[in-house]
Amino acid sequence: MRTYRIQLNERAYTVAVEQTGKHDFKVTLDGETFNVESLSDHKISTCLIQSDNDSIRAQISVQPTDKVDIWLAGAAFQAAVRVIGAGGYALAPHEKGEDRVDGSIRAPMPGRITSILVKGGETVETGTPLLILEAMKMQNELTSPTSGQVKSILVREGDAVKKDSLLLVVGGNAGNPTKPLAP
Amino acid sequence: MKLLVANRGEIALRIIRTCRKLGVRTVQTYSDPDRDSLPRRYADERYALGGATPTESYLNIEKLVHAALVTGCDAVHPGYGFLSEESSFVKACEENGLNFIGPTSEALEKLGNKLSARETMRQAGVPVIPGSDGTVNDEDEAVRVAETIGYPVILKAVYGGGGRGMRIAKDSEETRRFFRVTKLESLSAFGRGDIYVEKRLSSPRHVEIQALCDRRGKVVSLGERECSIQRRHQKLLEEAPSVAVNDDLRHQLNEATKKGLSAAGYTNAGTVEFLLDKSGEFYFLEVNKRLQVEHLVTEMTTNLDLVEEQLKIATTSSLELSQNEIHINGWAINCRINAEDPRNFAPSPGTVIHYHPPTGPGVRVDSALFSGYAIPEYYDSMVAKLATRGRDRGEAIQRMRIALDEFEIAGVPTTIPLHRLLMHDEGFIQGNFDTTYLNSVLPHLKSNLLRLEKFAAVAAATSKLGKTALPPTHERDEVSKWRTSARAHHMLGHGGG
Repeated sequence: MRTYRIQLNERAYTVAVEQTGKHDFKVTLDGETFNVESLSDHKISTCLIQSDNDSIRAQISVQPTDKVDIWLAGAAFQAAVRVIGAGGYALAPHEKGEDRVDGSIRAPMPGRITSILVKGGETVETGTPLLILEAMKMQNELTSPTSGQVKSILVREGDAVKKDSLLLVVGGNAGNPTKPLAP
Repeated sequence: MKLLVANRGEIALRIIRTCRKLGVRTVQTYSDPDRDSLPRRYADERYALGGATPTESYLNIEKLVHAALVTGCDAVHPGYGFLSEESSFVKACEENGLNFIGPTSEALEKLGNKLSARETMRQAGVPVIPGSDGTVNDEDEAVRVAETIGYPVILKAVYGGGGRGMRIAKDSEETRRFFRVTKLESLSAFGRGDIYVEKRLSSPRHVEIQALCDRRGKVVSLGERECSIQRRHQKLLEEAPSVAVNDDLRHQLNEATKKGLSAAGYTNAGTVEFLLDKSGEFYFLEVNKRLQVEHLVTEMTTNLDLVEEQLKIATTSSLELSQNEIHINGWAINCRINAEDPRNFAPSPGTVIHYHPPTGPGVRVDSALFSGYAIPEYYDSMVAKLATRGRDRGEAIQRMRIALDEFEIAGVPTTIPLHRLLMHDEGFIQGNFDTTYLNSVLPHLKSNLLRLEKFAAVAAATSKLGKTALPPTHERDEVSKWRTSARAHHMLGHGGG
């Protein structure tokens, strides 16, 4: 039996895994039991997952890092996996920093910057439109996740950008940036 | 005949398939990112347009006409989107002696853009939605018109299409903001930024009639399609026929379509879109002057090959089919599979690392995907159409549930989770929905995705253990069961060899 801490999107799951056969695993998550059969061990492997109510197939690609890509039912997930049981190391206390809103605006997809709606030094609020990123013919308005000042703009209109590249930084306001003070 | 395919992706493949059936040679045009694509593989010849953006490639009239001429083509099929409804492209084809598979430039101009189409229909006696007289030039004018006809309003790109270049505004602030965004989107996608304003009907259904028209004024209706399942005016699911259309209404819609298209002198395949309000009144929305994305559900219920009919009309000028030969048989549903994050519908280009589409009775997949295909960021996010047909709507839904479950795509997120949800949603199953319906389903999608996330966590945990697996406990497991059973078979005296 091993226990893992799985980080998926903004949530963390504690998952216990017991190998019951060469290809079979019994997995417990939030008190629910899943039976998993691994069908292949290719670069992209397929497994069958069965719970009391559902049965789903997943394709898995294990990265050299702690990252695992999973595709199931047409949805895509990326998980970060850490061992916390069975001779592993105890998980460091949840870093406080993770809850802080990051003012870095990154490209959520590859595309082209069609317009920049703010200037350096401008004061913006949560939800203020900052940039328009065009991808697959759609104009995607990127808004500020926090209030503060536009610290830097790292792109120009017309620039082609890669996924996750840093576009703009909003910073400033110490304290709780997402909740303005009540009047 | 030799035909230039002036499009890409699944529709290019769709066109090539009919051409191969009819013995028509094809030349596939392609941009740089489309060098390794299925239509390019299946066409008889290939022609490089160069560049990656639509403006450099599939929207470049000069390059496309040149391509057709140097390769010795006598016809051009524009597919949908890109230049399919651009009269200057049709004119350029006509001037160079190329047979454009679609309406003539004369017919196109009568319907010209969304605004002139509205006027043509109004004069033909087809009901239209209240809106601005002509285009609105700036934010101030947009607000003035909106306040006269009353909120909410829709800002529409005159040259828009396929659900792009449209935004709903519910107050003056939104009217101003969306005027800017819609203008930008329209300029980038269609090369022109003209905008007009129309009243937004409350909770209408979107129903459309597929028609075929020849050059002698004959118009045949192939029945309706129901396209109310939309997000931001982008259709996500279509079906034929529609639960909302009875024989009487179907007759009225067919007659309005015939009147309107005849008045416009329309030719080739076209679709007249209508909005249907709660009281059963219908209003003209627009004419789609091309083969549409969702044409396949009509093919599945009429047993016709619409690309073949298009080619016949363009080459012989007349339509052999007559209205009493058209029979709607069974029910078909199409799910658009887009490379989009199902949580927020953000486009997600990337490489497909594993692809296994469903098959079986009543299942059709129109897609240019394959394992290893890199979905470019420059074009539309729709990567597959999954359609099922049944004797009735219930059987089509059952087949769709199974097909969606069988569909395996790894590498990019898709809209499959949404379709899986719809196929089990009571409102959809009852046929009780309108164009606002999808928004009411989205909260359920969130909880479904959370459930899927748990399964993903389970898969992730076993993947790590699998890689650092415990030593196998029973070496015997390594012996192939095939060989063991073959040996047993032999020992039992069944011989063989």
